[in-house]
Amino acid sequence: MADRPEYFFDFERKDWVPWTRRKFLGAAGAVAAGLAAGPLLEACGGGTAQPAATPKAAIPTPRSGASINLLQWVHFVPAADTEFVRQASEFGSKFGVNVKVERITADQLQTRTAAAVEANSGPDIIQMQYGWPHLYTTACEDVTNEVNLLKQRLGGAVAPVNDAFCKVDGIYRAVPYTIVPNAWTWRTDYFQKAGITEFPKTWDEFTQAASKIKTANLPPIAQTVGHAYGDSLTMWNPVLWSFGGKEVNADGKTVAINSKETRNAVQWAQNAVKAGFVVHPEWLDPDNNQAYHADRISATLNGASIYIREKVEFKKFDKLSDNSVVPAGPKGLFTMNLIFNHAVMKWSQEKDTAKALLLYLMDKDNYLKYTNIAGGYNAGPFAGFDNDPVFFGPTADPKMKAFQQVVKPGKWPGWPAPPSKQTAQAQTQYIVADMFAKSLQNNGTGDMESSIKEAESRLKAIFERPT
Amino acid sequence: MATVARRAEGAVEGRPLHVRLLSSERGLGYLLLIPTLTLLVVFLAYPFVFGLWLSLSSAELTDLGRFIGLANYKFEFTVDKPFMQALTNTFLYTGVTTVFKLTLGMAMALLLNQVFPFQRFVRAALLLPWIIPTVLSTLAWKWMFDPTFSVVNWAAVHLHLVSFPGPNWFGSTGTALTALMIVNTWRGTPFYAIAFLAGLQTIPVDLYEAARVDGARRWHQFTHITLPMLRPVLLVVLLLSTILTFGDFQVPFVLTNGAPFNSTHVLSTYSYLWGVTGGAIGLGASVSLVLFPLLAIMVAGVLLLIRRPE
Repeated sequence: MADRPEYFFDFERKDWVPWTRRKFLGAAGAVAAGLAAGPLLEACGGGTAQPAATPKAAIPTPRSGASINLLQWVHFVPAADTEFVRQASEFGSKFGVNVKVERITADQLQTRTAAAVEANSGPDIIQMQYGWPHLYTTACEDVTNEVNLLKQRLGGAVAPVNDAFCKVDGIYRAVPYTIVPNAWTWRTDYFQKAGITEFPKTWDEFTQAASKIKTANLPPIAQTVGHAYGDSLTMWNPVLWSFGGKEVNADGKTVAINSKETRNAVQWAQNAVKAGFVVHPEWLDPDNNQAYHADRISATLNGASIYIREKVEFKKFDKLSDNSVVPAGPKGLFTMNLIFNHAVMKWSQEKDTAKALLLYLMDKDNYLKYTNIAGGYNAGPFAGFDNDPVFFGPTADPKMKAFQQVVKPGKWPGWPAPPSKQTAQAQTQYIVADMFAKSLQNNGTGDMESSIKEAESRLKAIFERPT
Repeated sequence: MATVARRAEGAVEGRPLHVRLLSSERGLGYLLLIPTLTLLVVFLAYPFVFGLWLSLSSAELTDLGRFIGLANYKFEFTVDKPFMQALTNTFLYTGVTTVFKLTLGMAMALLLNQVFPFQRFVRAALLLPWIIPTVLSTLAWKWMFDPTFSVVNWAAVHLHLVSFPGPNWFGSTGTALTALMIVNTWRGTPFYAIAFLAGLQTIPVDLYEAARVDGARRWHQFTHITLPMLRPVLLVVLLLSTILTFGDFQVPFVLTNGAPFNSTHVLSTYSYLWGVTGGAIGLGASVSLVLFPLLAIMVAGVLLLIRRPE
């Protein structure tokens, strides 16, 4: 071990420093105190319910000479990828680790992940979307220890959706990484021309706005109702929830889509389409971005990339654009955001180095640099990032605030059931989006009853399938 | 003589095994077969048997599962409704595109068989759709069919064939499936054309000359000389193309990925949906293997037809 420098992540100095006996005892004490503080935080309402954490105090130490391969998506804000690689390289230089960041488009990430899992070989760290840790549980290393370390330093609580996705049977299988908030980006000039001064706050107001925009012969409010891994889910699941509908009960077994509440949600969508809201069954995630930049639509639901690229890159409609929170339904405000976490894979020969890299990337200063460069496209998954200067700092763009506001009401596909293999399968089959798509055929006059029944039958095929 | 023969046998028996194997014609034959057999077992038999096992198991990613008999197949045919849609689409997709590829490929081959300026250049150019990586060309088609930026619609509107803004190709079931078929036909036709062209060039010119002397018209020459002489090539091309089209993944996956509302899934994309994105590998394998018996019968039938004399 003499040739293996051992380091301790000194959160005060925000750097890795060589181990000393004193530091070890200090760190072990801090972790133990953190674990003990969990119930206290919870009792005070300052944290989420934590599992009985594994009483480990081991802080992962990077091994000099190790090689780490990290697989990630291609960010919609290219500068964020550059910063991520810079930080990873910085970690590599400090600790003599060769870090390679491999990128692939988000819609192809699952294919690569599934192939690696099946082959039991591949990148040391894989970015997990949505509830993948529940699909690939046995391939993901237990990182409860590292998440507990981060909880201590980053404010205790993990954002509920990241927490639900990362934690499988009480064990963290991924380190919470980021939230990509989804809000409505809209053209203030077009809305004003139609006599609308602010973005609709309820779905009923939304229908009226769509109608006014159509009457004024302006580019429509438009959104996908197709098989887009992000935009379809972030649009139609919240619509369903905000009218009280759900795919499955909280028990995660009883299919509950065939309900009065679901009918109300579908009915609203049909009315909105008849009024002028345009839905595209063929659109994938980049399509609404392209349509907005091409001046073909007046509003769409998306991550902040449309607004950020207008502001930074295209500079055509940035001053004429604003962002707003998703409208609320009769049952309240519900949102869904893209969620990414990082799993250390079990086949990795360098698990400790991989875990150390993730801790380094999640270090508060590093992470805030990243969100700042991403311009608010990402929000942090720990309470410590709640006041991220990119949203609340003196130079923060007030138009970005909506993206921060949609984080808290966020839920996951399959909610109120906990994330599971079944909720992940229902999500990847786009059952909710398909139900709306079928009902919204022919200008909102599709057969609602058969669409709901088909969704019910497909959900039952998943949730009631004997395994 | 008997003594000499016995001595020779004794001499062979006394040799080491490898020498005896190499000396015997039968032994050497089996020995030479080993590399081929190894390749077949490793790259064909093992994946196939493993796939078959998966389809009969409850396997999921990271879990080999247990044997469950035909439960996956039963589930597909009795419970999983989109499966039947995918099955129907697969037959429709294969049937329609095969007819078009066959007709257009034959027409193209007959034209390319004529002598005309830049003949070689045109022959090479017509192969382009088949040479370009499928994903790239499919992405180009996706752009061409895009409802916002469609060049197809732009051209059709400006030629006054349709009213503005033109069809939303991927927005409804019928047009989306049609778009898939157009792209598959565009991509597959050159394969037919080149194979038919190769076949056409092996037909002796004397036959056509004799037919002309006998007063046979072009159509009669085609039906009585060209088609019968092309029969083996035609059957093999038809067989290969049908199998490949049944299993086509890239075009439907890139163009629609099953949308709108699962109406354009074919078996390959639906199998991917269950097996890869859904993690239910056993179920995914059963979806992809469901056509195996039918394809096996079809292959056997075509091979019999090829072997049968006129």
